[in-house]
Amino acid sequence: MYILEATKIYKSYGNKFNKQEVLKGLDIRVEKGEFVSIMGASGSGKTTLLNVLSSIDQVSQGTIKIEGKDIVSMKEKQLAEFRKRHLGFIFQEYNLLDTLTVKENVLLPLSITKTAKKDAEQKFNELATELGIYEIKDKYPNEISGGQKQRTSAARAFIHEPSIIFADEPTGALDSKSASDLLNKLQKLNQKRKATIVMVTHDPVAASFSSRVIFIKDGQIYTQLIKGEETRQTFFQHIMKTQGVLGGVQNEH
Amino acid sequence: MSINQLIFRNLKKNLKNYYLYVFALMFTVALYFAFVTLQYDPSMDATNGSIKGAAAIRTASVLLIVIVTVFLLYANNIFIKRRSKEIGLLQLIGMTKGKIFRILTAENFIIYFSSLFIGVFIGFSSSKLFIMILFKITGVNAIATLTFSPNALIQTVIVFSAIYLCIMLLNYVFIKKQNILSLFKVASTTEVKKVSLLEMIIGILGIFFIIIGYYISSKLFGGDFTTMNELFLAMIFILGSVIIGTYLFYKGSVSFIFYLIRKKKDGYLNIHEVLSLSSIMFRMKSNALLLTIITTVSALAIGLLSLSYISYYSSEKSAENYVAADFALTNAEDAKHFKEALHAHHIPYSEKMIDVIHANINMEKILDTKLKELKVDPASMPLPIISDDDVEKINLSPDETLFAGYNDMMQKFMPLKSSGQIELKGRHEVIPQKYLGLQKEYYISYFFTSGGLPVAIVDATIFDRLQKDMDMKPSVHIGIDIQDEAKIQEADEIFQKMTFSGNHDSRLAMSSNQKRSMGLSMFIVGFLGLTFLITSGCILYFKQMDESEDEKLNYTILRKLGFTQGDLLKGVQAKQAFNFGIPLIIGLFHSYFAVQSGWFLFGTELWTPMILVMLLYTALYSIFGFLSILYYKKVIKAAL
Repeated sequence: MYILEATKIYKSYGNKFNKQEVLKGLDIRVEKGEFVSIMGASGSGKTTLLNVLSSIDQVSQGTIKIEGKDIVSMKEKQLAEFRKRHLGFIFQEYNLLDTLTVKENVLLPLSITKTAKKDAEQKFNELATELGIYEIKDKYPNEISGGQKQRTSAARAFIHEPSIIFADEPTGALDSKSASDLLNKLQKLNQKRKATIVMVTHDPVAASFSSRVIFIKDGQIYTQLIKGEETRQTFFQHIMKTQGVLGGVQNEH
Repeated sequence: MSINQLIFRNLKKNLKNYYLYVFALMFTVALYFAFVTLQYDPSMDATNGSIKGAAAIRTASVLLIVIVTVFLLYANNIFIKRRSKEIGLLQLIGMTKGKIFRILTAENFIIYFSSLFIGVFIGFSSSKLFIMILFKITGVNAIATLTFSPNALIQTVIVFSAIYLCIMLLNYVFIKKQNILSLFKVASTTEVKKVSLLEMIIGILGIFFIIIGYYISSKLFGGDFTTMNELFLAMIFILGSVIIGTYLFYKGSVSFIFYLIRKKKDGYLNIHEVLSLSSIMFRMKSNALLLTIITTVSALAIGLLSLSYISYYSSEKSAENYVAADFALTNAEDAKHFKEALHAHHIPYSEKMIDVIHANINMEKILDTKLKELKVDPASMPLPIISDDDVEKINLSPDETLFAGYNDMMQKFMPLKSSGQIELKGRHEVIPQKYLGLQKEYYISYFFTSGGLPVAIVDATIFDRLQKDMDMKPSVHIGIDIQDEAKIQEADEIFQKMTFSGNHDSRLAMSSNQKRSMGLSMFIVGFLGLTFLITSGCILYFKQMDESEDEKLNYTILRKLGFTQGDLLKGVQAKQAFNFGIPLIIGLFHSYFAVQSGWFLFGTELWTPMILVMLLYTALYSIFGFLSILYYKKVIKAAL
């Protein structure tokens, strides 16, 4: 069963006379427990795709179903309700509230679902230990490093056990050590908790941690790679090759 | 785009953002102009009545200028900081600082002076309303006329032009001082860090200072301070400790208390707490000075307004205490003339005569002088004495004395015990008496009681004995009560036209006199209070506009996480309840304790006038809280 099913999605900006088509009839299916990366050059529409899939933005045409529920037809309020129960987010700029401590930031999604305090405590302890942020739980975001911030952000995305976690360039602002650290943790959480992750990235290293990579170009799917039994290293080589073919300007023949 | 177009577009955009500024500017101009118009209005002579009144109005108009100037400079300061990015951008594309300054000046000139003239117009049209209110509360029967005073216009234009120049000067300094880089970075930053031990100490100290100030204020006239010097020192101490306490409260206590609440939650905050507690905890600190000033001046305004309203409100009651009948006289001849005049006008009346003698009374056993500097000798206090025959419903045995009519203020300084032994001292003999206690009623007028002393009621035999011993003719209190209340006014007119040789007073004249003088001061304090209320409300609103911009990013995050606009709005409402509520409640508390400590010097009724004033203030103040919530609503809506 597909946890995410998007069919023929179109997205355009501007008005009738000056239309800019960003997504042109994309089909995407994600199975439960998958770790999918979406790659593409700047302007290929990958962030727009993530925004519409995660209901932050609306499609112009097409259907998107998450766990069988059509999110395109939902009203603003229902969407918000859906987001807070079924989706988790990790952003490039961390998006932590700087007046809250690490722990308060992580527990934020639980406060809506009226989880008992004891359960919340237990969930936090587990997750924080796994992500290595337990020691800094009482610190404010401006007192910790970028990597720690992003792991906090990841913890916030996982804590309420959402159906899908959307990550937008999660390693974009991190140095390579913190980046691989974070990706290792994401991969572990994906395997251990069977959490579904959809990640947008332009970094082949980041993409090589996932189980499948979808390449988009000019608003359409160009190709996809499946990791299968390959090692991360060879998978990385494949991604690099594909990106080489994909990248750059169209040849002026 | 030419420079003129640029100016014009900026204007359009700014008007939408700063409508409240324009409104406040117009309003303050209107208030000032109306006030100055009153000052120059010939019909005001009736209310002023004295040089004192005119001086009060002039002082008030100076205070008005101070409030308005501080407000406008502060508001401008907020706005120029908000526009710093724009200024930086203009510099980046190669405009000189001088040119940018000229653009700003032109923009401000248009907004400022159009508001000024609209304000003058509003002020002119409302000045009649103001003068009508003034006549009404001072009880002057005059027709309010609407006269345009060129003097008032000139004064208003001069004052506000001067303020405009100050604003421009500040803008000039701001632009000159900044370089492009810093202009892009001016956006305010809040320091977020753990509550330190020092802050906790500051927090506890703040609450401690406020409480100790309140405590001493409640003891102020309780008898612990026995000399004028000590009283004065105590007042200074209260003022200092409350103001410092308020400052420390904003600096530390708020974040300390909120920190304790958060700690108790142990990381599990709901959305409302996220938006209110955690944001205020860090932000209130940086506005500590501003909030202290706003709180203190609000407290002052509420306190003064309450006090003047108390004395206005109780003017009838205190006139009753001072004058024991509708008309009180001390000369039989005078009374005869007056009665004849009443007859002639067919006004029915009743008359009451009470003989009064003065004798020294030894009150050592029942009196507790607190204030040494009053220089009274408790062993022989000169008090008026009347016989129980002249007082209905009171019958005393020859060894008993009852006191009546002791006012609250004297009671505070010279409290009497509820019973004990006293001695009446005649010329030759001393009559021991048992003191029975104190009655609230006033039987004779203030001519006899030196304004506040009680009157001693003794048995008729004792009264005669004492009178014989003193060997002097008793003075007499003649009280004339008009039976038909509707005719008191007419009787008063007759009374005022007559000439008397002895002491005489009319209760009506006394109460309307007090109403007139207290009404004027109430009007002036109310005027200043209103101006301050509006300007400080606006400043808090502008601060909130600033904050909402800073927090917009947070709203974006929260909405992405799936919180609805409704969730966020509820949180913001809680936040504004704190942001506007904390200064308001502290201001109300300050003024409550200030009024509580000395209200009896001003009148006889505390609660009704004070609560009315406080409710009114709260209602007007809340408007700004609501406006800021509306602004936040827009920001939240635009956040995703």
